[in-house]
Order: sequence, then structure tokens, then C-alpha cells
Amino acid sequence: MNDEPIVYVVDDDPGVLKALKRLLCVEGYAVHAFNAPEDFLQDHDQRAPGCIVLDISMPTFNGLVLQQTLLASAIERFIVFITGHSDIAASVQAMKAGAVDFLTKPFNDEDFLAAVRNAIAKDAHARKVRLELQSIRWRMGTLTPREQQVLQHVVAGRLNKQIAADLGIAEKTIKVHRARAMEKMGVESLAELVRMTVEADIGSVMEDPPYNRTARCAASVFSRRSTDTHSERH
Amino acid sequence: MNSSTAMPGSRIGKVSSGSLLPTFLLAAGYYLGAKIGFALTFDPAPVSILWPPNAVLLAGLLMNPPHAWGLILLAVFPVHLVTQLQSGVPFAMVLGWFVSNCSEALLGAVCVRSILGERLRFDSFQHVAVFLFSCVFLAPFASTFLDVAFVKMLGWGTGSFWQLWRLRFFSNVVAMLMIVPVLLAWHAGILSSMRNAAFFRRLEGGLFVFAFMSAGAMVFISRLESAGFVPVLLYAPLPILLWAAVRFEPFVVSASFLLFAFLAIWGTLRGYGPFVEGAYDGNVLSLQLFLIGVSVPLLLLSAALQERRKSQKSLHRQEEKLKLALAAGRIRAENEVRKQREQLTHLARVALLGELSGAFAHELNQPLATILTNAQAARRFMSQQPIDLNEIREILDDIVEEDRRAGAVIRHLRALFMKSEVKMQPLEINELARDTLALTHSDLIARAVPADLQPSSSSCMVRGDRVQLQQVLLNLIVNACEAMSGRPPQTRRLTLTITDKDSSGNVRISVTDTGPGIAPNVIDKIFDTFFTTKAHGMGFGLSVSRTIILEHGGRIEAGNHPGGGATFQVTLPAAQEACHE
Repeated sequence: MNDEPIVYVVDDDPGVLKALKRLLCVEGYAVHAFNAPEDFLQDHDQRAPGCIVLDISMPTFNGLVLQQTLLASAIERFIVFITGHSDIAASVQAMKAGAVDFLTKPFNDEDFLAAVRNAIAKDAHARKVRLELQSIRWRMGTLTPREQQVLQHVVAGRLNKQIAADLGIAEKTIKVHRARAMEKMGVESLAELVRMTVEADIGSVMEDPPYNRTARCAASVFSRRSTDTHSERH
Repeated sequence: MNSSTAMPGSRIGKVSSGSLLPTFLLAAGYYLGAKIGFALTFDPAPVSILWPPNAVLLAGLLMNPPHAWGLILLAVFPVHLVTQLQSGVPFAMVLGWFVSNCSEALLGAVCVRSILGERLRFDSFQHVAVFLFSCVFLAPFASTFLDVAFVKMLGWGTGSFWQLWRLRFFSNVVAMLMIVPVLLAWHAGILSSMRNAAFFRRLEGGLFVFAFMSAGAMVFISRLESAGFVPVLLYAPLPILLWAAVRFEPFVVSASFLLFAFLAIWGTLRGYGPFVEGAYDGNVLSLQLFLIGVSVPLLLLSAALQERRKSQKSLHRQEEKLKLALAAGRIRAENEVRKQREQLTHLARVALLGELSGAFAHELNQPLATILTNAQAARRFMSQQPIDLNEIREILDDIVEEDRRAGAVIRHLRALFMKSEVKMQPLEINELARDTLALTHSDLIARAVPADLQPSSSSCMVRGDRVQLQQVLLNLIVNACEAMSGRPPQTRRLTLTITDKDSSGNVRISVTDTGPGIAPNVIDKIFDTFFTTKAHGMGFGLSVSRTIILEHGGRIEAGNHPGGGATFQVTLPAAQEACHE
């Protein structure tokens, strides 16, 4: 997979399309330009990093519909909307649905390129987060049910002794499970473990771990993930 | 006219200077008349067959306003003296006759003036009747008493009072009848008007004079009838005189009759013609009675016919005027209607364009945005090393192209917004539909209405005003879009279909939508002015559209499509240039 970001441009006006493509090319972006949203959907590779520059008003289906289509297919793409009319309702709808920017034609090249840069950066970040979350979840998937159970209690701030009492097993065994889980998750401190579980729960990567919310969030993660464990117990 | 005549109080001067020449002419006429009168006086009778001076004097008075009459009489007096004294008339008799002559002329003139109150004309039956009564009968009748009384008093003439009275009366009557109409008509400038007559009219006049003189000569001076005069011959000039009365102005009638009278008098005096059988007195009286008897009805007939001709002419003129006025009124009314219709058409168009203004702004915005982006991209290309000149060239080409596109949009809009004269020209109907659809491109997108143009298989020309036909199509397109606004976007579709020229030489443009269609109770009223189904509609878009199409010799119909939705169909006659493959 190529890591160079691709800027997809979709506009029904060939003149606009060509001009935008030029502007992006001269800035060194790889550009895929499309006259119609249908063509874009056919060509689009969701694995490629980058963003979409999308015209709102197009004859067959407009940009907002395309945004909805992408959301419905769980394709995460950062979109810079461009439009001829400064339509407040459309811009609100677009921004609510996660658009990066909403530019009214004619726009300044600096603003446009900044928006594209911003979208690409967001995409890169999101991809990094997604990768990390994937790795956290994959690692969590490698834990045995008992290890998960122990981890849940650990993250909830229980002492080994207390966990042993709760689960009705020896404290020593708890220590073994806990050490194995820490090892499988690739963390060395309890704090790191907590951050990972929170990130996995809220689906995003935290720059600063919110310590005060750790317990509740971790509990919620594990309460969902360990339902089968509970049923096992009863 | 000199400056002094314009000053108030110079009325006398004006009269005297203004009537100097006519007065001189009058005096000359009086002199000539007297000479003729004396020339026509033959022994043994002391009285002329006709006595022109009185008639000349009367004509002179009638030609001039009353305040000039004194001057005229004064001017005539020496002439009278000279002529009479030349002929050896005693001075007292000369004075007496001057008084009687003047009294005759004055009586006639005063009567005519007071009865008519205007200038005597011989083209009016009433005027001629007044003339005959005042000047031909009353004035000679009264003045002759005075005349004969002077003669008797001075013992200058021979014969009884009544004999003298009769001689002088008829002599005066004949003179009045013969001379006054001719002089008055001549004075009124009839001659100059006749000079402008058409060629055939002149030819007819020449023929008439020739025929008339021939007839007169045949009757009165021909020597052929020595075997005995045939009395019926006397009637020979009559048809010709009637011809004059029917065809010519009163002047021609009286002038020709004057000539005729002189011929008759001349012939009779020389012993020719019908009036030479009996005694001199009797012959002269017969001749006078003949002349009076012919001329009186002739004058009346001529006047009556002239009056009729004039009234017909004026009636005709009035009719013409009325017709002209009516035509002018109709044209004005039509102009007014046309102007109002043009105004309404323009108003409807501006309202329609107002609805589309957002779309037009977008149409203009698009090329402008493209130009800006291209220019900014070019600037970035310029800062690169090496500069990609090919790319720069392409960018510049695109900028030029987009600028043209923006210019075209502005031109289009200006043409649509302007209130210009209707310009009928050959138009390609597919192109017209395409251009119109392009104008609404942004509006259609904004309304989420996909549009489809199905052109005819061959290009089709119609004759029409581009702006007005675009207005109709724009109106139909906007209506179709509004009709579909309540429908789910995926079912919306606007179709413009152009059909090839059919067997009757018509081209059809259909605008079909997928809206709810037209309600059956509304379909008949849909083209009526002020009828609308829209909340903010003014109700003249379709009515103006229909007017435009009717003016283009076509028709517009509304109906519902079998597949749902409405179809508006515009039928226009294909132009002579017809359809090309």
C-alpha cells in the first residue's frame, strides 16, 4: 500500500475540476479528479490516505448525499466541501456530518490548500489511531477469558487480594494472570494499561490520559466485553 | 403693403391705396361698357340692347366693402361724364343718368349685402336666387322709373313713358345677367384655379368652347338659312349650355353665355338669325327675352349643380377624413395594446428572471471561481524551477475560455433583461432549447431536478424572437421544476423533447415533468391571465407565454402525461429554411 496521500476531487464543472487539479498538483499532491460522484465511488480506494474535495451541487446526486453514502458504508473520509452558493443549511449539515471545511467559491488558494492540508492531517491521524486501536483490540483478543476478568478488576483499581477474593481463586494465580495480561498487552505500567483500555473503549487515541475518568471508562469496556465471562460464572 | 397701412386709424388710406388699381380698372370697365352700350344702340331706338356700365358698377360695388363704395362712385363719375358728353348727351341728362345708374347699382349691392351678409357667389343656389331678385329684377325695376323720369323731365328721349321704361328695363336686366356673374367670378380668381386643371378637363373645355361657338354661329350668323329660319335651330346651343352647366364652374357658364349673347346681338343687329322678322323693337325685345329666359334657369341650374358637387366633394372629404381618423385611431389603439403587451411580456420576463437570479449568479460565479483558481495555480507554477511553460499556456487558454463563458452568461442575461424590440430571425430550435436549459443548469441542480434534452433527429429552424421564445421555455422549465418540488428527488425528471417537422410543417417542443400533473378543473384556465396555482405566483407567466406563441403563429397546449406529470407542448411553424438532415 502506497502511503502517499491522494486528494480526490469531485466537481461536475470540468473547468473548476481542472483548475483545482492544477492547484493541487503544483503543491505536489496526487490528485484523482472526477466529474461525477458515481465515478468517484467506483474508483475510490478507502485504504489510500488522503481526502476528498467535494462540490455540493451536482446534477445526479449532490455532495451531501455522497457524504451520507460514505458514512452509511462506514468509509471514513475527510471532506473539504466547495460550493457556489453560501447555503447555511447545507454547510451546517455538512459540518455536522464531519466535514473538515466548507469553502464558498471563489475561494483563496491559501484557504483551500490549508483546508486540504488539514483534512489530510486529520486522515493521517485517524489512520494512526485506527491502527493503534486495531493493535490494542488485537492484543485484547489474545487474552484468555480469565486474563480479561483479572484485567478488568485491575483496571477498576482492585488489589490482587481483593480480586482473588472476588473471583474465588488464589492471589498467586491472580498475579500470574495479571503478569501475562500485561505482557500480552505490551504494557509495563498500570497507567499504560488503563490508557489503552480507555482508548479502545472510546475509539480514539488520547494524548493525555484522563486519570479521573479511567475507572468508569475501563469498567464500561470490560462490562461489555466480559458479559460472556459473567454468564460463565453463573 | 407699406408700414403705414398696419397702423390703426389708417383705414381710409388702406382702402384708397388697396382699391386704387381695382378702382381704375372699374373706371376703365365702366368706360368700355358705355362704349359697348353706345355701340349696341341703333336707330331708331334711343336705348341700347344691353347697357353694361350699370352692371360693371354693380359688380364693382359687390367686389368691394361698403365703405369703399363712395370712392368707387366718385371715380366713376368723371368717366361717366366723359363718355356721355362724348356722345352728345346734354349735361343735365348726364347727371340724371349718373344718379339713376348709381341708384341701380347701389340698390342691387345693398340688397345683396343685407340679405346675404357675405360676398356673392355663383356656386350657391341661394346666392344666385338673391342675385336674380336684387340685381336682375329689383334694382333695374326701381331705377328704371327714376331713369325714365329724368328722360321725360328733360324731354330728351322719344316714345311713351312705358315704352321707354320697358326698353331701359330689359336693357339693364340683360346687362346684369350677362356681365355681373362673369366679372364677379373673374374677380374671385376662378380663372387661376382653372389654370391648374387636368389635361382632359382642359381638353373638354376647349371642345366645349368650340362646340358652343359653332352652335352660336350656326344659329345667329349663318347665312345659309336665307330660305327661311327653322325655329327649332334656336335650341341648338341649349344642350351645349346644359353641358357647361353640368360639367363646368359657373364662371364658364356665364362667360360662355356672355359670348353667346354677344353673338346673338351681333347677328340680330346685322339681320341674321331668328330675331329679324318683325320690327326692330320687337326683335330686340324677343332677343332680350330669349337671353333672359335662357340665362336665368342656366345660372340657377349651374349654381345648384355646383353646390351639389361641392357638398359631395366635402362629404367625400369628410368621409376620407373620418376614415383617416378611424384608421389613425385604430393604429393608435393597436400601438397602445402592443406597447402594453410588450410591457407585460417584459414584466413577466423580469419576474421569471428574478426567480432564477440565484441560478444566474451561480452560472456567473462558476467561471469566475475557475479563473481565480487557475490564476492562483499559475502563480504557483511560476514560482517553480524550471517553470512549466506548457502548463502556464494551458492555464491561460483556460482562463480565456472561462472568461468567454462568463461573458456569454452576461450577454444572455442582458438580452433577457433588456426591453428590446421584437426581432424575428431564423433560430435553430434544438440550439435554443439547449441554450435555455444551460441557463437553468444551476437552478435545476439546486432544485435537484435532473433534466434531459431529446433533440430532433434533424436540425429545425423556426422564425422568431430569441428572447421571447427563451422566455416561454424558461417559464415552462421553472413551472415544471416547481410542480415537482413536493416529489421525492429520485422521481423528479424534466424532459425537453423536440420533434421533427411534421407533415403540416410544424415543429413541436414538449416540456414534460414528473410532478402531480394538472388538475382537470384547472386545465382550461391555466393560460388565463392572473390564474395561478402557486402561492406567490402572479398568474401571467403562462398567459404571456401563450401570447408570445400566438404572435409567432404557433400554439401552446397543456395536458397530462399518461405516465404521470404534466406536458406543455409548444407548436411552431417551421421556417422556410426548413429542417436540414
